[in-house]
Amino acid sequence: MVPLPVSEKIKTVSDIKLKPILSQEPSIEIKNITVSFKTPKGVYTAVENISLSVKKGEIVTLIGHSGCGKSTLMGTISGMVKPTSGEVYANEELVSKPGPDRGIVFQNYSLLPWLSVYKNIYVAVDSAIKNKSAAEKRSLVENNLKMVNLWEHKDKLPSQLSGGMKQRVAIARAFAINPSILLLDEPFGALDALTKSNMHVELLKLWNLDNREKTIVMVTHDIEEAIFLSDRVVVMNNGPAATIKEIVDVPLPRPRNKKEIVHDETYMTIHDKLLNLLIDKFSIDDIN
Amino acid sequence: MGGIWELISNLTKNEIPSPRDTWVVFKEVMQNPMQNDPDYKGIAIKLLSSLKRVAIGFGAGSLVAIPVGMLMGSSKIIMNIMNPMVQILRPVSPLAWFPLGLAIFQDSPQASIFMIFICSLWPTLINTAFGVAHIPQDHKNVGKAFGFSIWKNITKIVVPYTLPHILTGLRLSIGVAWMVIVAGEMLSGGMGLGYFVWEEGFNGGSVAKIIVAIIIIGIVGLTLDKIFMSLQKRFSYAV
Repeated sequence: MVPLPVSEKIKTVSDIKLKPILSQEPSIEIKNITVSFKTPKGVYTAVENISLSVKKGEIVTLIGHSGCGKSTLMGTISGMVKPTSGEVYANEELVSKPGPDRGIVFQNYSLLPWLSVYKNIYVAVDSAIKNKSAAEKRSLVENNLKMVNLWEHKDKLPSQLSGGMKQRVAIARAFAINPSILLLDEPFGALDALTKSNMHVELLKLWNLDNREKTIVMVTHDIEEAIFLSDRVVVMNNGPAATIKEIVDVPLPRPRNKKEIVHDETYMTIHDKLLNLLIDKFSIDDIN
Repeated sequence: MGGIWELISNLTKNEIPSPRDTWVVFKEVMQNPMQNDPDYKGIAIKLLSSLKRVAIGFGAGSLVAIPVGMLMGSSKIIMNIMNPMVQILRPVSPLAWFPLGLAIFQDSPQASIFMIFICSLWPTLINTAFGVAHIPQDHKNVGKAFGFSIWKNITKIVVPYTLPHILTGLRLSIGVAWMVIVAGEMLSGGMGLGYFVWEEGFNGGSVAKIIVAIIIIGIVGLTLDKIFMSLQKRFSYAV
């Protein structure tokens, strides 16, 4: 008998175990959100009348051109941005400010430069988690740092780390408070293509370790990244007053293999579709 | 340096004493620095009394300036209220504060401490406010996202970020304080290096003593500056 390739084996095992987890329970409900800012030039509407529902354990990416309001939309879920009208529910509770049920990973890592890797995570855990002893908090930090393979770097300052390592610290910090929703705002945007690719796999590994129970919403402008990671891709129109252009399903089975997936026909169809939705100039002939 | 000094001394026909003559006077001044008789105090005692007053005035000034600066930096409203007052009071000459201090405390040594207090407020206040007002949004976001308490925000974000700015302010302030003390002691009399310059140097008719005092004041000022500079280095971090 020809042995199955490794990825096949993993697929069969984990899929049987993990498939039922993706439930119909809503994790995030965005209802008719409009966000406007007052600027010196008048009122600027970033996003307008957006509604979106994300199920528990789902990975959804928001994709669009720079400045299309995807980060703003994300901000309304995290509670960092207050919607002008409409409301957002996370875990069936109205979002009014950031909370420990939603972990945020920022685009530029946002580590505090004067604290060691360990302390950066510890202060976050210490603030966000109220009902645990100091020893329990310390073990949380330790586990999460080991999970992203940074335990031996725990005493370093952020300035001594590479971009990929910093982002792993930021991800470990978000995971350490054990949020049911993980919000990633262009988390891999500043990384080189190779590091980025590794980070995708690492992120999915963490998500798997957690039984795929965490809902992940991610902002990106990278089509490959969006397809590889998500269950649904939300394509946004260009701002101002951005809306959802289309929601594209990604029915590719998990676990996905970076190398194989690109030859998959479904992948290619989705890729083409997203390209068409996002890009209107494909060669110099298209420039009027 | 020595050559120029020598030349100036020659040109003024020893009105300005030569380095050698000054050295003789310097040794004489240094002879019994810790002498602490009621009628005569040694140079070290005078220096210490000046330093003590600087420490009190500067310490009190900093204790006021740092928190007020933080308030100003963290709130636009407080900034708008306080800033005009700061800008009006800051350029006022230290000497103008002295009579006010005298009127308040009815005591000249305390008036000179008051003068140092006022003058060492501004650089620290302004630098602290600037630092707090410029905390990057990224750092603030961390506090917001993970629900830092006000205390945690201050100790983990505001103070560490602002510390280099505060230390810059303190370094400028100690310089001002040290500059002001000499003037203050000339006005208040009785004690300290300023008194030494005026009484023993000018009134005593010894230019050499004035030069000796200037050198001592300069060296002490430099030392104070070096101390704060090393603190600045110690607490700056790579971003």
